[in-house]
Amino acid sequence: MSAAPLQIRPAELPELFATDSRTKAMLARLNELGIPGNKTEQYKHFGIKPLLAKDYTRIDAQQGEPQISGKVLSICDGVVTGVPKGVAVSFSTDFQADMQHYDALYYLSHLLTPRCIVLTVEEDAAITVVHQLTQEESLTAYRLVVNVAPQVKASFYETFENEESSGSLLLYGLDVSVGRDAALTWVRNQSSSEMSAVVIGSHRYDVAAQGKLTLQTFDLGAGNALHLYKNDLAEQTEANVAHLLFGTGQAHLGNVVNLRHNGRSAKSVHEAKSILKDRATGIFDGLIRVGHDARYTTARQNAKAILLNDNAFMESKPQLEIYTDELEASHGSTTGELDEAALFYLRSRGISLEAARKILILSFVNEMIDAVEDNEEAEAIRAAFDTAYATKEIL
Amino acid sequence: MMNIKDLTVNIGDKTILKGLNLDVEKGSVHAIMGLNGSGKSTLSKAIVGHYDVTVQSGNIRYNDKEITTMEPEARALEGIFLSFQNPIEIPGVNNAYFLRTALNAKREHEGKKALNAAEFLKAMRTKVEELGMKPEMIQRSLNEGFSGGEKKRNEILQMEMLEPDLIILDEIDSGLDIDALRAVAEGINRMKNGERSFIIITHYSRILDYIDPDYIHVLQDGKIVKTGGAELVKTLEAEGYKGIAESSS
Repeated sequence: MSAAPLQIRPAELPELFATDSRTKAMLARLNELGIPGNKTEQYKHFGIKPLLAKDYTRIDAQQGEPQISGKVLSICDGVVTGVPKGVAVSFSTDFQADMQHYDALYYLSHLLTPRCIVLTVEEDAAITVVHQLTQEESLTAYRLVVNVAPQVKASFYETFENEESSGSLLLYGLDVSVGRDAALTWVRNQSSSEMSAVVIGSHRYDVAAQGKLTLQTFDLGAGNALHLYKNDLAEQTEANVAHLLFGTGQAHLGNVVNLRHNGRSAKSVHEAKSILKDRATGIFDGLIRVGHDARYTTARQNAKAILLNDNAFMESKPQLEIYTDELEASHGSTTGELDEAALFYLRSRGISLEAARKILILSFVNEMIDAVEDNEEAEAIRAAFDTAYATKEIL
Repeated sequence: MMNIKDLTVNIGDKTILKGLNLDVEKGSVHAIMGLNGSGKSTLSKAIVGHYDVTVQSGNIRYNDKEITTMEPEARALEGIFLSFQNPIEIPGVNNAYFLRTALNAKREHEGKKALNAAEFLKAMRTKVEELGMKPEMIQRSLNEGFSGGEKKRNEILQMEMLEPDLIILDEIDSGLDIDALRAVAEGINRMKNGERSFIIITHYSRILDYIDPDYIHVLQDGKIVKTGGAELVKTLEAEGYKGIAESSS
């Protein structure tokens, strides 16, 4: 681990990085997109400007000497400390990033990460990924590359342990490729508090023909986290993408998703449910893009949000962008309060207002938690939800 | 048991109940009849504290307590139960979980031990069978996808499990076929114990063929204009509400 002061100033960025052609190309994309500011569409409700203007102690991701640790890949302050048994883990200095990503921080995190952590899954596997952050006022950047071989079925459960990392920023991301006829389930269970590092994840999922992607994300608590996805779907693929967000206190939590149908006969279902209380802000910015070659696409997108307080805020932006004629596509978005008639019905049977509110909130979230295939993981998410629900705002 | 005195109630800007008076003694069965818009459902909403209604004047006393401004859950815990005309569907809320939560809230209020899941389910299954409901309804979401008859039976199931003291049935007979009507009426009759009181709100007399009322009240323009015994039903059938209005004016 090395520590050196860092502030992300655009003019100084070229000096920070080596000048090989791969780096130059990423730097050019970063300059083209520009360092995000408060007017950048994906970040405008996230308060990105002060985050990137701040002086951090930079923590460089190191290779380390990881231990074999059951089915867990653990990354502590950017250092791989544990690797799952039976899965090939290596470090790559020449990973070719996607040059079509819409997010500038995708490139910045690559540029700050000379060595990507690479996992190659060649047999069916269930892997837990644990991100640990222990440093305060620091910038940690790393990237994880996951390759799921053709016809393999893999499940990843991703969690964060970052309760003692206030004032820090984690800039990380995944580059995931799902091989032909392979199936990947990725579940992200992310709880955070005011004491947690801000997390920005900039990801790319590339699903080959006949592949299947199930992406389920759970953002809970009073912290700040934004995840930006570019998911590319080849022909006859299937993608089920679901987000549950429960923001409390002064949280800023969100998902920006670009779901791209690039080949024919792909199916996608994209759902987001958000509940916001206190002064929390939620962000759902979902774009389904159906390309010229993506005939016979089926795409469905739906976003629902419940605001529990007048000061809570939801930015919901569902979008369809269609370049072909033969398809079925729909999208919708609703933001409202808890159903007054339903609340009254429960109260008329002697259930207190607070208990009735919780019953209705659980009814809203349970469907998404129940959809997590692994019961143990589903219960862990339910417990994390209960903890977030019970936490009172710190004023 | 309950005394309603000079009750004037608005829904929005419109005055619906206009100085209504009603006394309900312990163990009595009252039928409230009247045309659409006469204020029958508003009366039931006012008794249970529905958010639609604003009490302008008058009061409701129940077991010597002033309940006019009580929260709805407090009224329910005191023993007041409304069977809704159109029970709401609540997706994602398991029927058994909901009812157990409600029952244990009442038991806690009464200083009794909460029922565990096994004890509760045993009791619920017995009632479900008695009402001729499908066993799978226990685990389904509350009223979601239920037919009209199934929703009404589910209301009666809740009534039987919660064992309230004052039961208000708002058009419990609407939309029921003859078998469902009989099952619902049997459920109501099972609850009669000489202590419990009933207010049955209805347009039609057919439910009264199964449940013998002690009093029939005719509600018109926000007031009770006529009260009589079971024989008043025959007068209503012969003369209609118009005839009653003319004779009482």
